[in-house]
Amino acid sequence: MKRFGFVDVTLRDAHQCLWGTRMTTAMMTPILEEIDRCGYDTINILGGAVFDVCVRYLHEDPFARVKLLCERLRTPTDALTRGQSLYTFELFPDDVVELNAKVLAKLGIKVFTVYDALNDNRNLESSIKAGREAGMKINGWLTYTLSPVHTDAYYVARAKELVEQKSDILCIKDPTGLLTPERGRSLFSAVVQAAGPIPVQLHSHCQSGLAPEVYQVAIESGFAHGYTASEPLANGASLPATEEIAGRAERLGFKTGMNRKALKRVADYFRWLCVREDKPAGVPAKYDPALYQHQIPGGMISNLRYQLQTMKIEHRLPEILEEAARVRKDLGYPIAVSPFAQYIVTQAVLNVVQGERYKTIPDEVRKYAAGCYGKLAAPISGDFLDRIDLKEKDLVSNRPGENLEPWLPRLRRELPGALDEELLLAAFYDRKLLAPLSKPPPQYSFRTTPLAELAGWLAQRRDIEYARIRFAGTEMTFSS
Amino acid sequence: MASRELSYQDLLKIAEVIRTASHFGEFRLKVGDIEVNVRRANGAQVGSHAPVEPKGEPEQRVLSKTEAPADAPAVHAPMVGTFYRAPAPDAPPFVEAGSKVEPGTVVGIIEVMKLMNQVEAGLSGVVREVLVGNAQSVEHGQPLMLIDPS
Repeated sequence: MKRFGFVDVTLRDAHQCLWGTRMTTAMMTPILEEIDRCGYDTINILGGAVFDVCVRYLHEDPFARVKLLCERLRTPTDALTRGQSLYTFELFPDDVVELNAKVLAKLGIKVFTVYDALNDNRNLESSIKAGREAGMKINGWLTYTLSPVHTDAYYVARAKELVEQKSDILCIKDPTGLLTPERGRSLFSAVVQAAGPIPVQLHSHCQSGLAPEVYQVAIESGFAHGYTASEPLANGASLPATEEIAGRAERLGFKTGMNRKALKRVADYFRWLCVREDKPAGVPAKYDPALYQHQIPGGMISNLRYQLQTMKIEHRLPEILEEAARVRKDLGYPIAVSPFAQYIVTQAVLNVVQGERYKTIPDEVRKYAAGCYGKLAAPISGDFLDRIDLKEKDLVSNRPGENLEPWLPRLRRELPGALDEELLLAAFYDRKLLAPLSKPPPQYSFRTTPLAELAGWLAQRRDIEYARIRFAGTEMTFSS
Repeated sequence: MASRELSYQDLLKIAEVIRTASHFGEFRLKVGDIEVNVRRANGAQVGSHAPVEPKGEPEQRVLSKTEAPADAPAVHAPMVGTFYRAPAPDAPPFVEAGSKVEPGTVVGIIEVMKLMNQVEAGLSGVVREVLVGNAQSVEHGQPLMLIDPS
């Protein structure tokens, strides 16, 4: 019987999309054992935003989280980085990229997933090499977008590059949910064919509401795995629900190996966690045709709307989104993901607010156009080409990582005796930001029950002065 | 109801009742072996339950010490964003009070949605006062520093 497997994103992308990445390690630990029973092939636990939010907002050491989750989970764990940019949007020299791969492997990561937001696979070279040497499986992602240059042939060419780079797994990542079943029918079989014996995965978000249908096409097209989330943290801007996609796969005659009872217990816990933490559960998105025009992710539009409000020009949002579509074309169709989505939006705002296109070109947009971050999908054009005035000497054509001097010798001098994890954190962040990370972690609980949750929840509510719970001969009373 | 453990479904229902039925002062539940009694504090507000986590919001904007006349020669923020006085956290500021500037002199950076935009003085003169602190958010057109033109 044919098989379709699953990669869990509940602990990573799901809360990144629905909770602003604010799921703490303490919220994860009580349900790890149950997630392990679900039958996932891999569990994704790390990505750029998770790493960054751990440091900046949760004041958790992200490497300590990775170590703990890898120790507690028997299912192989997966960590995602942005290739040469690792967890941020700037480029790091090869020595930092290599050390990061080594550290993740040492902490217990089994699948090392890498992507480049420009699909310039040269930006994955050092990660893939170091990841493989450290003993991890390599999962190379192709980032999907809609444009006249991002054709099936374009993706087949990128897939062949990843095959040549000896990826163990390929994956089509659709960060803004732009895939349709129609496009999937042509694109998916083309990529499966290009991948040959290498398994292909799908990672698509639900903004357009079409993702479950798109997953069904992937299953029919010979994909090996789908990335999904526990039902309460699926849908909306997140990924489809494991429960739903497993149902579809099984109806198509595929074996999934998913344990429905365990999945239900995991979903029960997360449904409760939404209430306890006052965070939203995912709701299936309504079909929105505008998404296909400007392609700007929803989170960024709400951020933009807020910024426009402070400038008192909120009414110009539709005009700015229209301009964003034109800017994207002029810029050679960058994919509307971070950081390029910000480039497009900022340039569009400047063009509209200043009443003159490209009067101001931000430094990063200029560097992007010069090739500092990697190859562009299409040449720059239009007013942008006329105004940017790039000099021959500014253009970068080699692999961007080659242009960066090693950092580790300096960091080792500055931090004698530092652990590899400490060196990496120092490479990514200002020392001040890292200070709160040294606080001792809380006592994690690795099991919970509804009764324990009820007691904890009642005890911390300030609107309750007295609560008594009696159960099987024991009695708990809280009183203010 | 037969003796059984409390389920997450029960828990969700209990939480729903306690959160929404604010007009009840007391709540009792018996499920199998489990009995829950809850009494609400007098005048307590529903929804005040969640411990408020400290938010990583940017610092409040500090207003200028000097209220400059609206037409005083100044460098204005060309866009909304976060103003940085130096090219890097450990680097010296681009300019200080007393620094000489030319129209093309970079006097700061405004970060908007992770993009760094250099701010040029736009006129020649001497910086009289820097009105905005490092890493403060600024609005479009807000004066960033006063210039004594030369």
